[in-house]
Order: sequence, then structure tokens, then C-alpha cells
Amino acid sequence: MSEVKISAEPRTEFGKGGARRTRRAGKVPAVLYGHGEAPKHIALPAREFAAAIRHGGINQIFNISLTDGSETLALPKAIQRDPLKDIFEHVDLLIVRRGEMITVDVPVHLLGEAAKGTLVMLEHDKLAITADALQLPEYLEASIEGLEAGAHVTAADVKLPSGVELAAELDLSIAVITLAPTAEQLEGEGAGEVAEEVEEAEGAVAEAEAPAEAAAATPTPEA
Amino acid sequence: MLMPRKPPKGFRKPHHPDRHGKSKGGNRVVFGEFGIQALESAYVTNRQIEAARIAMTRHIRRGGKVWITVFPDRALTKKPAETRMGSGKGSPEWWVSNVKPGRILFEMSFPSEPIAREAMRRAIHKLPMKCRIVKREVGEV
Repeated sequence: MSEVKISAEPRTEFGKGGARRTRRAGKVPAVLYGHGEAPKHIALPAREFAAAIRHGGINQIFNISLTDGSETLALPKAIQRDPLKDIFEHVDLLIVRRGEMITVDVPVHLLGEAAKGTLVMLEHDKLAITADALQLPEYLEASIEGLEAGAHVTAADVKLPSGVELAAELDLSIAVITLAPTAEQLEGEGAGEVAEEVEEAEGAVAEAEAPAEAAAATPTPEA
Repeated sequence: MLMPRKPPKGFRKPHHPDRHGKSKGGNRVVFGEFGIQALESAYVTNRQIEAARIAMTRHIRRGGKVWITVFPDRALTKKPAETRMGSGKGSPEWWVSNVKPGRILFEMSFPSEPIAREAMRRAIHKLPMKCRIVKREVGEV
């Protein structure tokens, strides 16, 4: 994955007021830290940052040029997003060095289609790998072509590019192929629980109400 | 219908839950491929959840899976009709889930996207607030 050049400004005002003013100015508040350096509070251009993440994924390496002329390689460590507006609210950037081996979570794409009448249940959509900071794969691939119900895709089945090591356990389940539920199973899924739960809960509520009602029925000294 | 198995540990007749703010968690699709996301805050009753679930499962018929990611664990009370004010709080009437904007209520896995979207559209009509259909993106931030 190639690095993306992005310019950053130092941030001088903090807190929610300052952060909101930064966002209104079309920037994303961010913090840059790692390798024992003091954290730097910066603001990144929102459009460029969003475009880089959209194209490069969550492990996009940034070459951040600061206003003092220094350049730093960094990797997004944590990104906070607004769930409704889909904008980036804050970014934690971790400083990396050229040639450094880092462990990151990389998305796993499933290729092909499982056998007919099956349902693919994705258990983990990311897999931890260790690789050169500048050679991180955008995604990993695992094939589910023609897999029958009951088959499992584990971390061991994922194709790893050269220079990439698996940091997760080999038997970590990525996807499970199950028989697709029938109409009766789907319909009955809730219906069975309903009768059972209603009975139980009604019993529980009746039990809970009984002492309260008894207390209410007891005449108070004022009455 | 969904409701707590045992009476609540705290108060049996709690105050109305706070409806301010956005959903802090549960705002990403994690189990299935598609999800129904709330755009407004609302008290979603167990009957509404069940109606939405039935609408969805009847449309997809078979070959998919539905997850309900909210649980109606808050009791709301109501005083009987034509009752004078006072004499204590009313009795529990509904079990609701306190849903805030951004919260994913249902998730679904289904091989055909148009059918899944139509099923979710039908389910949204059973819910008391504006919602949208969201799709899970593998490795999304």
C-alpha cells in the first residue's frame, strides 16, 4: 500500500469547543504519537483524509508534513466516526518507521459462492497480521467457493502475501457455512420463544406485583 | 414477544428513560450484512420489535437470518383511563427499548440484496421512528 501525503496544522485549542470549531473549518482533529515522542495535537484536512481512508482502507499509511517542515509516517490507530453523519470526528495516528514490523488488523474478503441452500456467517471480518509498515496488504482473501454446510473457514485458510505473517491463532474462525434456515425455522425462531417467555415473564410480574398489592391493600394509620 | 425473564433488578416502575444524545454503542452492523439503523430516538416496544421481525421473516421466507440487536428491558407505566391524578404511579404497561439515533435495531444476512432491502423496508414501517438501511462494509473503520 502506498503512502499518502497529507499536510497537517498544529492545533492550539482543545476541548469540545475547539474540536467543533476545527471540524467546522473542514478539518479533523487528530493526535500523533508513538516511539516515545511527545504527543502532537494536529488538524488534518477532512476531505483528503476521508478520500485516503476510502481508497486505502483502515491501514492507510500517511506521510504527514507538519508546518515546521518535518515529515512523519503514521498509521491510523483509532478513528472515531459519527454514526449518523458518517464523518470522522477524531483520529489517533501512530508514528511508524520505514522497515518497521507492525501488527495490524486487515480486512478479510471472502471469494466465490458457497454451495446452494447455505448461508455464510461471517465470524471475523478482520485478521491480525504482522508485516512491514510500508508493505501492508489492503485486504486478505479466503475462498468459500463451493463449500458445503458445516464447513469452516479459519485463519489458516487465508492466503497471505509474501512478507506477511499471521499474528492471530491459526484456528480463528473467519466464516462458518451453515444450512440456510427454512421458512418454518425462521418463523418459529421467535414464536417458540414468545410463548415461553411470555409465560415466564407474566409469572414473574405476577409474583412481583403480589407483595406490592398486598402492601397497598393494608390500611395505613392515616386511613 | 421479547421481555425480561425476571422482574427488573432496580425499580419495577422506573422513570421514563433519557432520550437525549446519540447511540454510544451498537451503531455498526456486526452480525449480518445489512442493518436497520435508527435516525431518531424512540421507545420501541416489544410488540413493535416482534411486528418488524415478522414482517422481515415473512418476506424473505427462507435462506436468511435475522438478528435482533435491541432488547425491551425498560418498563413504562400507564395510569388507567378515567382515574384521578395521585394515588401512586400507574402499573407497568409496556416493555420498551430506549433507542437513540445511530442504533442498529435489526441485522440480516440474505444472499439477495434487493429482497433483503425490501424486507427491511417493510420492517421499518412497523417501527415508531425514522430509520435507514445500512450495509456492512468489510473492514470498515
